[in-house]
Amino acid sequence: MQPQLKSKVRCTDREVGEVTKVIMDPLSHEVSHLVVSMNGSGERQVSMGSVQTVTDDLVQLRSSSSEVMALPPFKRGDYVTLHEVEIPGLERNIHVTPGEVLVPFPELERNVKRRKFFSNLTYVIGLFIGLPLVYPTLKYLMKPMYAPFDNRWQKIGNVGKVKAEDTGTQFEFKHKVKEAYLPEAEIEKNVWLVKATPAVLEKVYQGKDMEFRDATGKTLWTNKKDMPYIVFSGKCPHLGCGYKWRKHKVLGPVFLCPCHVSIYDASGKVLAGPAPRPLDLLPIQVSESGEVQIIDMEFKAGTKVQSRMV
Amino acid sequence: MSHTPSAPSAGTEPTVVEKVFAFVDERVGLRLLAAKMLNESVPGGSRWAYIFGSILLFIFIMQAVTGVLLMFYYVPTADHAYASTQYILHDVDYGWFLLGYHFWGSSAMVVCVFAHMSQVFLWGAYKKPRELIWLVGLLLFAIVMGFGFTGYLLPWDQRAYWATTVGVEIMDKTPLIGDFLARLLKGGATPGQMTLSRFFVLHVMVLPAALIGLAGLHLFLFRCAGPAGPFRGTPVELKAKTDYFFPRQIWKDVVGMAVVFASISALAFWEPVVLLEEATPDPGEYHPEPEWYFLFLFQHLRLKMFSGEFGQFLGAIAFPSLLGALLVALPFIDRDPERNIFKRPIALTLWVMLIVSILIFTVSAIINREFLD
Repeated sequence: MQPQLKSKVRCTDREVGEVTKVIMDPLSHEVSHLVVSMNGSGERQVSMGSVQTVTDDLVQLRSSSSEVMALPPFKRGDYVTLHEVEIPGLERNIHVTPGEVLVPFPELERNVKRRKFFSNLTYVIGLFIGLPLVYPTLKYLMKPMYAPFDNRWQKIGNVGKVKAEDTGTQFEFKHKVKEAYLPEAEIEKNVWLVKATPAVLEKVYQGKDMEFRDATGKTLWTNKKDMPYIVFSGKCPHLGCGYKWRKHKVLGPVFLCPCHVSIYDASGKVLAGPAPRPLDLLPIQVSESGEVQIIDMEFKAGTKVQSRMV
Repeated sequence: MSHTPSAPSAGTEPTVVEKVFAFVDERVGLRLLAAKMLNESVPGGSRWAYIFGSILLFIFIMQAVTGVLLMFYYVPTADHAYASTQYILHDVDYGWFLLGYHFWGSSAMVVCVFAHMSQVFLWGAYKKPRELIWLVGLLLFAIVMGFGFTGYLLPWDQRAYWATTVGVEIMDKTPLIGDFLARLLKGGATPGQMTLSRFFVLHVMVLPAALIGLAGLHLFLFRCAGPAGPFRGTPVELKAKTDYFFPRQIWKDVVGMAVVFASISALAFWEPVVLLEEATPDPGEYHPEPEWYFLFLFQHLRLKMFSGEFGQFLGAIAFPSLLGALLVALPFIDRDPERNIFKRPIALTLWVMLIVSILIFTVSAIINREFLD
């Protein structure tokens, strides 16, 4: 037990005074010293090491009264009170109060029953307010998330720009977009067009025409397997960066994405790097005069199977 | 008494300041509150290693101040964000400095978060009874990264656009909810005005509120458990060296803040922010790349083992999540009370490995740049 304030302090020969303060050790959180008022002749600081026994109202020391008197007087200035310092957990270790300090329990509180009911009621009311807000908030935030696909044909330029076969040529074009309430805006986009030799066409189409369907499954357009122009979405199927047509030291001319170095050949096939699927083909039509139109689609990056996003 | 601030001097008429102080003190117990704040025992004494928490708080306050100032001119719309940022950079007096400070401040934040976490890790300060401080700290770390990610889009230049495009695509790879999350964040299928609005709100409202709340909780939990102190030394030695937060630790913290302030200012001065072309889905000649502190993550996705759909899931989601989960579980796995890092060979090895791999991946990402041109 810890020494109590106001306890009498008795030395080996006689009683010398009472405990007026206790001093705590900030690290061990134990009482380290007692301050004893010496019946009118000042205060002495006595180490707990010289305490023999502690009872409710008495502290028995091992030293004699003259030994305690010979200790230097207690210096209040060397200490701070608990209120002025932050030592976590210290207060939980103090059991030295000279008694309980009380405040009256309010009259109205004494007979309240169903405390549990009232505390649960606050949760119920909280849920009653909160839950109906979840769905509207979610729907509010989700409004622009699933816009319908834009299946309009976009003019991107003339094939006269293409210099050589099986070579990537970038076509930049303006795509009109309308976002929410905003006025229609033009954003710059790009696709890569390849005038393919039959060998590359075979690799691309594998002998079959390619059908593009809208969200309902209706056929939008069919790319004929023998039409020499193919066009790839400008978005790398790895993580959506923009790739380029570049000369690779070993692989020769290739499509190369600078982000994570995915490499594709002119047919869009993955030659190296982390991409999970070939470049994405888009619906293309070329007029007599060589004007190219495409349906500008974008597909989710990073998946083996194509899934259309735009 | 020396430890109670500005006690009115006896015998003389109190000054106005003393009267105001006394007025407030009488009502809120200011003197006691100040004492309680400043007289925090630091076992084993103040150290330079302990300055990072205070420095992070300082950097955050400066980011808030510069951020609010930037908002006086910045307009978060797809057709004005770029122009308003350019206006801040080139036309508004000292706009270049405030934007530069905010920009470099974010890097400083990441550096100091890393230093702070390393200090806590190496000192074993996440161990019982400080597990909750560590967990809240991890949330704060995530918020700091969120600040970097959302803030990066706001200037609406090519760098901003592509970092966001790739970043959100990575999030999209989360199983089941990835597509929903990515669309929720973008406000659509591709980055646009809705994305800019959302990132702006997150950056200037949601994340600051979360950070302030959690930083408060972090400090509260820290005060409940108290500083861990050094990992060596007997109780007697520790007690002999113990001092209070004020003045020695605060002095070190303040010197640290001054150094950080000077460094960020110098960077803002000598390495001003230069915007690229305005954001568009056509990257032109620009090679997309995230901010330097995300480079190692960016680079490791180039590895062969992370190719293909599954590889990408491993690299982009599973591997970072595993690292995160390990950090969360750390104080519960590592229950050995030993805090001396030189007696914790596994912890030390893991830390060194993490540092080395981050360095290797960052440097190789930088070297890779040359091969791409």
